[in-house]
Amino acid sequence: MDTPPFLRMSGVRKRYGGVTALAGADFEAEAGTVHAVLGPNGSGKSTLLKVLTGVVAPDAGEVLLEGRRLRPRGPRDTLAAGVSAVYQELSLIEEFSVLDNLVLGVEPTRFGLRDTRAARARALPWLERFAPAFGGRVPADERAADLDPGERQIVEICKALVREPRVLVLDEATASLRRAQVDVLFEVVGELRERGVLILFITHRLAEILALCDRATVMRNGADVATVTVGETPERELVELMSGGTPRTPETDTGTTGTAAAGAGSAAPAGARTDASRVRPRAAAAAPGGEPAAAEPLLEVRDLSGDRVDGVSFQVRPGEVLGLGGLQGQGQSELMAILFGARRRSGGTVLLNGRPVHPRSPKQAVRAGFAYVPGNRGAQGLALGRPILENFALPSVGRRAGLGVALSRRREIAAARAVAERIGTRYGSLDDPVSTLSGGNQQKIVVGKWFPTEPVVVLMDDPAKGIDLRAKAEMFAVVAELAAAGAAVVLGASDDRELVEVCDRVLVLFEGRVVDEVSGDRLTEDTLIASSMHIAGRDTGTGHPEATSALPEPDRAPAPAAGTGTGGPAGAPGAADGPAPEPAPSDPGGRA
Amino acid sequence: MTVSTAPEQAPDQPERPDRPGAPARPPLARRLLRDPVVVSGALAVLLWVVAALYSPEFASWGQVVTLLTVASFLGVIAIGQTLVIIAGGEGIDLSVGATATLSAIVASRFMDGSNEGFVVAVLLALGACCVVGVVNAVGVLVFRVPPLVMTLGMIAVVTGFIRLYTGGRPEGSAAPLLRTLVTGDTVAGIPGVLWLWLGLAVLVVWLLRRTSFGWRLYAVGGNPTTAYLSGVNTTAVRFSAYVLSSLFAGVGGMLLLGYAQNVYTSLGTDYMLNSVAAAVIGGTALVGGVGGYLGTVIGAILLTVLDSLLRIMQIGGGEWGDAPRQIIYGVVLIIVLTAYGRQKRLRQ
Repeated sequence: MDTPPFLRMSGVRKRYGGVTALAGADFEAEAGTVHAVLGPNGSGKSTLLKVLTGVVAPDAGEVLLEGRRLRPRGPRDTLAAGVSAVYQELSLIEEFSVLDNLVLGVEPTRFGLRDTRAARARALPWLERFAPAFGGRVPADERAADLDPGERQIVEICKALVREPRVLVLDEATASLRRAQVDVLFEVVGELRERGVLILFITHRLAEILALCDRATVMRNGADVATVTVGETPERELVELMSGGTPRTPETDTGTTGTAAAGAGSAAPAGARTDASRVRPRAAAAAPGGEPAAAEPLLEVRDLSGDRVDGVSFQVRPGEVLGLGGLQGQGQSELMAILFGARRRSGGTVLLNGRPVHPRSPKQAVRAGFAYVPGNRGAQGLALGRPILENFALPSVGRRAGLGVALSRRREIAAARAVAERIGTRYGSLDDPVSTLSGGNQQKIVVGKWFPTEPVVVLMDDPAKGIDLRAKAEMFAVVAELAAAGAAVVLGASDDRELVEVCDRVLVLFEGRVVDEVSGDRLTEDTLIASSMHIAGRDTGTGHPEATSALPEPDRAPAPAAGTGTGGPAGAPGAADGPAPEPAPSDPGGRA
Repeated sequence: MTVSTAPEQAPDQPERPDRPGAPARPPLARRLLRDPVVVSGALAVLLWVVAALYSPEFASWGQVVTLLTVASFLGVIAIGQTLVIIAGGEGIDLSVGATATLSAIVASRFMDGSNEGFVVAVLLALGACCVVGVVNAVGVLVFRVPPLVMTLGMIAVVTGFIRLYTGGRPEGSAAPLLRTLVTGDTVAGIPGVLWLWLGLAVLVVWLLRRTSFGWRLYAVGGNPTTAYLSGVNTTAVRFSAYVLSSLFAGVGGMLLLGYAQNVYTSLGTDYMLNSVAAAVIGGTALVGGVGGYLGTVIGAILLTVLDSLLRIMQIGGGEWGDAPRQIIYGVVLIIVLTAYGRQKRLRQ
């Protein structure tokens, strides 16, 4: 290692509010290699690459490309330096033709006018190269909106390639591709490698990494753990590196025990809160209400299907907390939205207390006894500009109204106060807008507003995302309390550690299907991560040599991109969970 | 309006656990300075004082009553506008003016100067308005036509219908009862229309602040996704807002009829944009979910005072006609609204 590496990032740090996304990560990669970046949800891999592409400005650290310091003020600068990125969220302009999209921002001009012929000459070769991925055609003049999600993703990749990058970042770029399209992409990536391009590859399909990548850097907790040569490293070892299973660094441990301990006692505000002290709720699954573990299921889901959800079945007993695990965006959010009637159900049955229910709107679901804590509190959970009081009252306001219309302010305040006290919300005045609260307190309102409706099934989509440790512990105390009151809680979380701490049982989802159920002693972070990568236990029939064969679901049509199709507010739940593991830099006032 | 140094509580600032009331609130004076109702109220009083200094007669009781009477028509028509704007989703109802005219024309034809058909005429007029509201709502909510386009189109439809219906020459006149209700028979020296406006204002403020409909309306305007995911039927709420908008426009049109005795086909035209201006001046934000009717009342009064001031100063007239007055009126509107826009940005 005499010469400096082609790309070097050192000491990169980034915090979003109270959450550390990157804690001094180092990264090196050589030109002419395909370099995988992998790690569990929230390990900082996406943030790291966003720092590279200039989308995210780091708090500290530097990026050197060929020994020269890269100081981007935005993606434009990094593009000029030769770094192109393909993200999962699509950046195409729907009304433009494919060709116009490809040259957007780099349009060749002649005398200040657009030079269409030059644009064609520049973009067409790439489209032609990818023709097999478009089913043999070259859709240069088609509208981007008319392409299917997989084809759009290919256009997205071409768009990056038209910029002739020296570093190409593929962030979950294969997620919506069909098998044939992936094959073409891999061929092209191989050619680029020959030409000395560095390809950085983020994927959650371990099989793809084994098939394609030369090197792999494993990230965990915002730092790099190890960089290995893929061909020489067994699958198992990669997973262990990701989960930190073997030697636990002290850093990991403080995080875990800190949260657990806080959840146990210190944070639980005084009151009728004895159950909150169950450090491991699953150990006490039988305890609340003295219910035997084999109680009748409260919620039973059979073969539920819909957009991004494919034949999911499970049961939840009263007082049980069921986790939905797996990598992000595998249908967890959609599953909950379907149960809540916010997305269309295309098949399957849902039994509540043995009776079938089929809510077609959230309104019907609320009436049936469901409550839903959406994954994005700013966009879905709160009316940020409205007073705390109104946000608290929203789901239950009709129930307290005289003759169904007339409200008494005193009664509303009493109701809101009661809930706020129960879950320990700190606020100035109930008339202040919710946006004046901290993220954790806002989230408590999103959960607390359901208390007056006395829900029997509580669906929570990542309720602890982007809030600090203390608030997180309090949030989980609330979850425990809901369960103790006899509700069935279904909890999605992007952090496996949270699932292990809070849940009695965890279903691992992959591409909309349940691939594993983890409970009891198996319920550890290691198992969850291994399961998430779709290589756990019974699935390991496929060894490493022919790893590509393990590519899931060869030619299934990819699910449409999140948010499309459903239309209206119903589309929102899916759209909210991007691939980025970072919690939104929770600034509630920033939008609106 | 210099309120740039607001001690904003950073949203993610760590909480101070020991303090029961965590986030600090800005002092009362500053909050008042930022309250659009207070600001526009002060501005209205200021303009009125200027007018009174310019022409002492302006301060007489009779003039004040006349001023408020003129403002009341705008105020009533702007009720629905306020509801629609609060309901969000780019909500706006430009057809209120045309609807008011339609209501007046239908009512005057069936009243025809006598009290006999009064109730029937009122019901028919409101029925016609209701149809307009339902069509607006269906267009916006079912066919997803942008509200601006839908209600703009409805103006043409309603105006065309009025021409068909009247043949260009509206018939009939207000019932004596209506006339008495609006201008005559004063209680405590205040004409009936002002009592009516007061009653409607109390009703609407109550509707917005103390009913589940009102709270849901704000929630739908503030964040439709949240409202939907909290079990609110957002479509029904917005639907009601559009229908109510047309209904209140119809009530306003009938009051105008009672005031003017006879109708003409451009009776309500001026109210189209003025109703939006009154609502927005009063602090109802076009993004939805913010505002209230009290502000709209003040806004309506402010606009009327401004208009009167420009009239008594005799700006315009002569060969230029109304033009200079209109220009000044428009410029003042833009300045006031810009000031609000800036405040909003500073607050975020």
